[in-house]
Amino acid sequence: MGKRYDVAIVGSGPAGLSAAVNAKIRNKEIILFGYSDLSNKLIKAPKINNYLGFPNITGQELKENFQRHMEAMDIEITTERINSIYAMGDYFVLMANEKMYEAKAVILATGMEYTKPLKGEVEFLGRGVGYCATCDAPLYKGKVVTVIGYNKEAEEEANYVSELAQKLYYIPVYNGDYKLSDKIEVIKDKPVEVKGENIVTALELANSTLKTDGVFILKDSISPGQLVPGLEMEEGHIKVDRNMKTNLKGCFAAGDCIGKPYQYIKAAGEGLIAALSAVSYVDSMR
Amino acid sequence: MRQIGDSTFIEEVENYQGVAVIDFWAAWCGPCKMLAPIFEELNNELGDKIKFAKVNVDENPTVTNKYRIASIPTILIFKNGTVAETLIGFRPKQEIKTLLEKYV
Repeated sequence: MGKRYDVAIVGSGPAGLSAAVNAKIRNKEIILFGYSDLSNKLIKAPKINNYLGFPNITGQELKENFQRHMEAMDIEITTERINSIYAMGDYFVLMANEKMYEAKAVILATGMEYTKPLKGEVEFLGRGVGYCATCDAPLYKGKVVTVIGYNKEAEEEANYVSELAQKLYYIPVYNGDYKLSDKIEVIKDKPVEVKGENIVTALELANSTLKTDGVFILKDSISPGQLVPGLEMEEGHIKVDRNMKTNLKGCFAAGDCIGKPYQYIKAAGEGLIAALSAVSYVDSMR
Repeated sequence: MRQIGDSTFIEEVENYQGVAVIDFWAAWCGPCKMLAPIFEELNNELGDKIKFAKVNVDENPTVTNKYRIASIPTILIFKNGTVAETLIGFRPKQEIKTLLEKYV
């Protein structure tokens, strides 16, 4: 186990960066998770006219300004994907594949890029629907499993599960060459609804229906409610108060993930508030 | 923490008059490992009023299938032998505790 950071910030858009800057100014040990390109949305913006102080700037230029700011303050981005965050009581555990990080406080700044759940997905979560095939695979020994894959990484999970399952269907939601074991049946069709009674019995597709005991949905990004078990959501956004506090002690949120309007300077402002709230929370723990 | 299974479940849980909280887990499950210390703490705090026990799903397929455990960790709260609450996946300590306090 490594050291326990004061504040872990998840997301490298304007909210996360602003949170990082402000927590760092107040001398907290921080770790910032995100992308080296900061935010896909930012670099795609052709012109930004509502970020105070930077009239007529392109998203690319604003990104470069943000990057210079990070360098000037000696803030590094840890380019690892956080898969789950566990509220342990007085601290948080952040899981990035095989690696674990610990922090006293967490700031969620994950944006709003996750895909909408399928019909029936939330209802059957844990009753046949899962997000980690390798985690629950042994429970499906000898059963029929369907994997809906949104990316190449899903293929590896599917290959592993196919060794245990009696039958495995793979539904790719992307184009490309699929590196899949011969035992796997690839179905090119659009998933519509997860069906069942108490537990999952079938997956309905646009053109057919598959009888299946389990459905694993392997996406690029998951909703904050799944990322942080126990986190309270409200109409698709993280529920916060005006200090950016969530329902979980020590967990704060900022930016698009807490609600509209989806704007850069709003996100940065909320990141500041979240950082200050996290700082006073960490100080109060001593 | 007490481990129970296929051979002892009826006696320990289904025939038990009172509240029993059972954590279904396995050694290969990451979230189960995170839940374990929380479950221990809850046992220390509420163990005199509520029975806490764990079931390893790898070693106890009969009980695991009977209660249709499809994802772990799953916590089942039994009242007088029947399931009163089901918690699927990792839950923060406070959430489990608030729920359990309804039963003491």
